[in-house]
Amino acid sequence: MVIVKRKELSLSERLYVPEIVRGLSITFRKMFEKKITRQYPEEPLVKTEVTRGQPRLVVKDDGAIACVSCGLCEAACPAYAITIDGGETDRPIEREPKRFDIDMLRCILCGFCEEACPKDAIFMSDELELADYSRQALVYDIEKLKRPAAAMRRRIEYVNRINDRWRDAPRPPMLVGRDAPHGAHAHSPAAAAQRPHAS
Amino acid sequence: MVKITVNGREVEADPKQPLIAACHGHDVDVPHYCYHPGLSTVGSCRMCQVEVQQGTAPGRVMVACRTYPAEGMVVSTESEKSHATRRECLEFLLKNHPLDCPICDKAGECDLQDFTYQEGQATGRSKEPRRPLEKRHSLGDVIVLDQERCILCSRCVRFFEEVPKKAQLTVASLGSRSVIATFADQPLTGNYQGNIADLCPVGALTLKGFRFQARVWNLVKMASTCAECSRGCSIQVEVLRGGDVKRFRPRENAAVNRWWMCDTGRFAFDHVNAKDRLVNSLVRDGHGLAPRSIEDGIAAVRALLDAHSDALFVASPFCTVEEGASIQALAKRRGTTALFVAPGPNGLKDALLHTGDPCPNRRGLTELGLQPIEPKELAKKLASSKAAVLFGERVVELAGAAAIAALPTSTALAVFDCKAPDAAACTVAIGVPTSVERTGTWINVDGQKGPIAAVKPAPAGVRALARHLAALDLRAEAARS
Repeated sequence: MVIVKRKELSLSERLYVPEIVRGLSITFRKMFEKKITRQYPEEPLVKTEVTRGQPRLVVKDDGAIACVSCGLCEAACPAYAITIDGGETDRPIEREPKRFDIDMLRCILCGFCEEACPKDAIFMSDELELADYSRQALVYDIEKLKRPAAAMRRRIEYVNRINDRWRDAPRPPMLVGRDAPHGAHAHSPAAAAQRPHAS
Repeated sequence: MVKITVNGREVEADPKQPLIAACHGHDVDVPHYCYHPGLSTVGSCRMCQVEVQQGTAPGRVMVACRTYPAEGMVVSTESEKSHATRRECLEFLLKNHPLDCPICDKAGECDLQDFTYQEGQATGRSKEPRRPLEKRHSLGDVIVLDQERCILCSRCVRFFEEVPKKAQLTVASLGSRSVIATFADQPLTGNYQGNIADLCPVGALTLKGFRFQARVWNLVKMASTCAECSRGCSIQVEVLRGGDVKRFRPRENAAVNRWWMCDTGRFAFDHVNAKDRLVNSLVRDGHGLAPRSIEDGIAAVRALLDAHSDALFVASPFCTVEEGASIQALAKRRGTTALFVAPGPNGLKDALLHTGDPCPNRRGLTELGLQPIEPKELAKKLASSKAAVLFGERVVELAGAAAIAALPTSTALAVFDCKAPDAAACTVAIGVPTSVERTGTWINVDGQKGPIAAVKPAPAGVRALARHLAALDLRAEAARS
């Protein structure tokens, strides 16, 4: 059990009126300062390319989605929101999703699916609003997830720019066979530092 | 036996077995593609190279699958030299291997993927494009070949030569254009084609039936026993998200099936995936079979047994030893004998594994004292008896669905099966789990025990046969006292 000791109030605090005046002075001062409250939803959110909204499947120029149902987004999803069933297709990619469901009520908008995708098929849109009358209606299937690439262009370009930061990095040194320094383990940073880049 | 040193540890090794077997036998992992304990060794992939030192000579890198242990050999699988050799080897294998992992069915259980993560390098140095080959080359009804992914380990070629002893595949063409091909482009034949998809260390040979069905890391896998014939091959049942069985694969068992299984067993999962299951119970009233609770169903069976003290007890050959013992005990207490349906040979018998006998637990049930009976004789016997209880998975199907449907209504029939029977004689039917939804033991033709495992839960309203039998038994006891 915890005994809380009440603080003895001073005379001005016991008088009540001075404290009221002090409190209201803050209220009146704030009335004339710049307002920072956003009047959502009348005033829409400011969305930038960094905004991570709900994931969407990008429809490429040929009218198809690039997804091959590899299941990496499904595996990366920390909220288990994605369910994919694959199937065969006559398109050159051989494999396409027959079912691609994202439970938007489970999705936490983390963007791991976008990061995991090896085919640049899924990107985070700037759509954030989500409301419907049933839970089932918020499990989005392929048709509901499709968005034309034009509508997602800003995000796609942003993600590609971020990824290119790594893509343009110098290739890791090759340490194969007789090139490897004797006695050192090839994976060690010390061994890597000794070697000039092979290209 | 000779004494060798593997990674600084002195171990005993059989000089007649390759060095790689000795390493694997002592929990030392040696990456390999072409070597398989069930096939001859060719040393073509060069992946299992390890550093071997003998006497005073400096250590040399040798293929562990074609080197045999000798007294005093010092083997190092983790030395810099062996790692470097394996990396070089992988670089060549990956030179023409497509970056197909997102669409490849093998991804997640692929040796090339695993060993590349373990040993290899993340980027390639080759500037030349990979050579294009055929991506969807059909090799008969079971197998599809992706020529680009093949690393030419020749396990599949040797499998057909050495296990079914009928060569069907070969390495055709030369150099980087070498491909696996059948003779004169004939489709593959035989009942053991599926094994080459398991043998293939990469995703070159895949099953048509499993193509793009599931990502392997989403499959729940459990050890079980094949229900196809009385051989009872050890298998692994693989279920996608607690729903459908997607794959049966052989499990190594030296006493029964070694590493193989037949295609009829491999693809025999239509029955366990069937959607028209019998749940709870069906009890006949004035209008036909009406859905009822399990308790009502058991009460109806009880009433049937009370009315007919000479009711026949017929088990399914899919009943486990445990279920068979319960049926036998119940029959004994009632003073009757229990039978089990035992259809005759189905003509699929071969020299390798298939016994042609469609009863997976024939030996187990026979040893318990249940008497096997042919479907034809059973139909006659059922028609002449007043009441009968059929127990277990697929019992109606194996006894002959048509024969059961044709039974006169003078025979009162109680059925415990996975599917609702379509028979006028049936007065009560209660659902039971399939062989992937229950646990137990089958005994194969040679007396080997085969455990069956509950890989997925039975549908709601389906209880194990053992629980139904216990409920019947308890009421029998209560009625006597």
